Amino acid sequence: MSMPKIDMPSGALVLLILRILRSGPLHGYAIAQRIFTLSSEVLRVEEGSLYPALQRILLKGWVTAEWGISETNRKVRFYRLTTEGKKQLEAELSDYNRVNVAIQSVLRTA
Amino acid sequence: MKEFFRRLHYFLNRRRFDEELMGDMEFHREMAARDGRRNFGNELRLREDAREVWGWVWIDRLGQDLRYAVRMLGKNRGMTVGVVLAIALGIGVNTGIFTLLNAIALRPLEVHDARRVVSVYQTFRGSSTRNVNGAASMFSYAEYLDYREHNHVFSGLLAYQPIFSASLDGEQPRQLQGQLISCNYFEVLNMRPSMGRGLTESDCAAPGSAPVVVLSDGIWRGVFNANPGMVGKVITLNRVPLTVVGIAPAGFRGTESVATEFWAPVSMQPVLDTRSGNSLASDNLSWLVLMGRLKSGTSLSQARADLSIIAGRIDEHHPGRTTTLAIDVASLFGEPEARGYLFGAGAILLAAVSLVLLIVCANVANLLLARASGRRKEIALRLSLGASRGRLIRQLLTESLLLALIGGALGSVAAFWSFDVLFRLLLAHVPHWMPTIALSVRPDLHVLAYALVLTVIAGIIFGLAPALQASKPELNLALKDEGAGLHADGSRSWLRSALVVAQVSVCLILLLTAGLLGHGLREAQTIDPGFAAKDVSVVTLNLDQQNYNDTKATVFQRELIDRIGALPRVDAVAQASVIPLSLDTHGSGIRINGGERVQIHFDNVSAKYFEVLSIPIVGGRHFSEGEVHGAAKVAIVTEGTARRLWPNQDAVGKTFEFQNGAETYNLMQVVGIAKDTRTSSLGAEDEYFFYFPVSSEDQLRTKLLVHAGASFVAIAKGIREAVHGIDPNLIADVHPLDDNLENYRLPSRIVTILFGALGLLALILASIGIYGVVAYIVSQRTREIGIRMALGASAGEVLRLVLRGSMRPALLGVVIGVGCCAGVSRLFASLLFGVSPFDPITFVGVPVFLLAVSLLASYLPARRATRIDPTVALRYE
Repeated sequence: MSMPKIDMPSGALVLLILRILRSGPLHGYAIAQRIFTLSSEVLRVEEGSLYPALQRILLKGWVTAEWGISETNRKVRFYRLTTEGKKQLEAELSDYNRVNVAIQSVLRTA
Repeated sequence: MKEFFRRLHYFLNRRRFDEELMGDMEFHREMAARDGRRNFGNELRLREDAREVWGWVWIDRLGQDLRYAVRMLGKNRGMTVGVVLAIALGIGVNTGIFTLLNAIALRPLEVHDARRVVSVYQTFRGSSTRNVNGAASMFSYAEYLDYREHNHVFSGLLAYQPIFSASLDGEQPRQLQGQLISCNYFEVLNMRPSMGRGLTESDCAAPGSAPVVVLSDGIWRGVFNANPGMVGKVITLNRVPLTVVGIAPAGFRGTESVATEFWAPVSMQPVLDTRSGNSLASDNLSWLVLMGRLKSGTSLSQARADLSIIAGRIDEHHPGRTTTLAIDVASLFGEPEARGYLFGAGAILLAAVSLVLLIVCANVANLLLARASGRRKEIALRLSLGASRGRLIRQLLTESLLLALIGGALGSVAAFWSFDVLFRLLLAHVPHWMPTIALSVRPDLHVLAYALVLTVIAGIIFGLAPALQASKPELNLALKDEGAGLHADGSRSWLRSALVVAQVSVCLILLLTAGLLGHGLREAQTIDPGFAAKDVSVVTLNLDQQNYNDTKATVFQRELIDRIGALPRVDAVAQASVIPLSLDTHGSGIRINGGERVQIHFDNVSAKYFEVLSIPIVGGRHFSEGEVHGAAKVAIVTEGTARRLWPNQDAVGKTFEFQNGAETYNLMQVVGIAKDTRTSSLGAEDEYFFYFPVSSEDQLRTKLLVHAGASFVAIAKGIREAVHGIDPNLIADVHPLDDNLENYRLPSRIVTILFGALGLLALILASIGIYGVVAYIVSQRTREIGIRMALGASAGEVLRLVLRGSMRPALLGVVIGVGCCAGVSRLFASLLFGVSPFDPITFVGVPVFLLAVSLLASYLPARRATRIDPTVALRYE
């Protein structure tokens, strides 16, 4: 009873990760889990997309990685949003909303 | 910006980052497994994808490829060494030749900011007369002043007469090569003298007003023993006293390929140059080279535009004439016509050595192909494990490039080293009358760039074919090792054969050329020039530089001939204005019975000329003593001339008109017929040649021919002493007449040696190539041969089988090579001294030789095939 995989637009993943991290630093698995749960189990993020995306936002300086202890008492890296990341998140959010509204209006009235 | 630093930070800490990433993903998997989800995915690939974000993956891959390449090359050490040596040879030879061409023609002058210094030459189109002292592309003094006044692009424009020789008086008079320069020469070139001063504008104010001179460092040390008080001393050049005002800095040898030993102001030209009259006043005389320093910010095209306006204005005074200017960065060899010849010769040379390099590439490609076939299994394995074909090709190419770079570096270094030696060797064989050449064959940026580009191209050429071939995914076959020769290799073998064909044909072209040239050379040794050069010495004097006039010269010559005649073992002395085969000719025109003008060559000789050179008089008589010096209007013609001008008649007694000046013709009579000689050129007899008696006008410049039975050294000494005895300030240049024949043979000899050496090189390389290919084929077909022998084939039959396969491409190569060479041999027919460009001896002998060598190269490994033990072969893997 597995759901058919829905392809997520690649830019959206970065947006989701940044948004999730706004509430506080998390490690990689937790981010994926959070997305899964919050999307009512629609969006499943595979390793293959998650880690490259994380590397990308590390490169851009929107997050930093720091060591912490997980729930299972293991040492693992937590990703934390930086000030640039916050700014980037605001910018991307507003862009996303504008595009969304535009798409909605076309779909409604065309 | 900050992103770049982050990337850099990542780059420097790659390993730690990678481990952290690995840790993250491991943790992720643990958690996922705990939650009951299994993640499929190629972890390695995921890690690589993640790493790719940072953008440094290519460096890691390159490092990997290089390390692997080094290991692979280390495993087949023998082949690696062979390949590296072959590449070194090919690239080294190319670098060497390019270094020479660069030093001559491409390198800017060795002055400050040399790229801003440009030379200006002109070419004329249309009808006009022009007097030339040097090259037609030079300028007159008036034109120079015009350009200097009216240009807007130069911070300074200088002019100089490139080659001006003068005799230096002193205990040991000697000939010096110098330049007459405009007084801003040193300023524009930014050359500060090491002692004293350069020239100033006042030195050029009026003709003859400034008897000053600047000496070169070499002359100051060599002739004047680095006298510290040299500045201010007076030296005499061409009998004119000049004050030394400065010494040029060490290493500065002027702006021409001939090393300059002194610089005098151009205003001194009428005084110093007694041969040419007042060139400063000749408005239509080409004798000066122009060189200018561009103002900063000005481009060459701006300069061209600006100066062509001035040229156009000058053309208005010469209706029907259009002047085009050639403005380029100044080098030591700027004159356009000479440069054109040089580039032509250089291109041929470069083509020849490039052919050799091509052979090397073909050879190496073949070897690499063979080796790649041996690695089929390994490559198939990698492909099946997921390596992309592009990655594999990249890796194989890295190996080839590494080989190429090592070989190229080795070859270039060897070339730089040995070239100095070779160049000096070459200079040692240059004819004695040629002055010192001021070339520096040091490698510079051009040469290094050329070597690098050539190396990379070579690496790609010989690396591409094997790389493409080897990475073809015939996985199943390769893994099961079934390609072992039961069926022909198909596409691979035709490529190999094609490479052998290419090698053989190139080799043949080089050898054929060398063979033809060599044959021609041998002919040249045996050509009878029509006169006997043995035991004859040529004496050249510089009376015209020492202010002699006709009368004084006549007296001097008579006295000298008497003195030389009195020397022991001297048989005869004669005068001649043109020495046979001296590259100097006198031409004019004659008319017979008012008919059409015929162009002739002629010589003014004394009565004993024919005796000295052992030229028989076959009709009529010699000149009498009275006719010589008496301006008698008589002539002796050669047999061929007589036959052509007065066919079927006796030429003796016939009259003709000799052109003496633009419109005057003098009536003359033939009194004798001499045997034909090759006086103007060794390659062919003179069509029309006349001998006239030497007159008093010729005494200033006539040379002497001395026939003596003593050794040359003794005679030369005696002659020089005789000259000094009469006038100690004269310079007597004495050399054997044989040298002139050598001058003719020299270019042919050099080219023959060059092509011979290259041909030999090509032969060795081609032989190695054939050997390698046959050896490889034998090893591949071992199983098949074993089967044949088990079924009853004899050793001879096996041998024939293998040889047939290898000789076919060789034969094809020979046919192609012969065809190509036959097509182009006409181009250098002039260097062959009469040997036909399709000379059968060469065209048959050389290919046979090459085929024999190919046969030998194939036979040796083929013989191994016959020694195969069938039982071993059948089990061979």
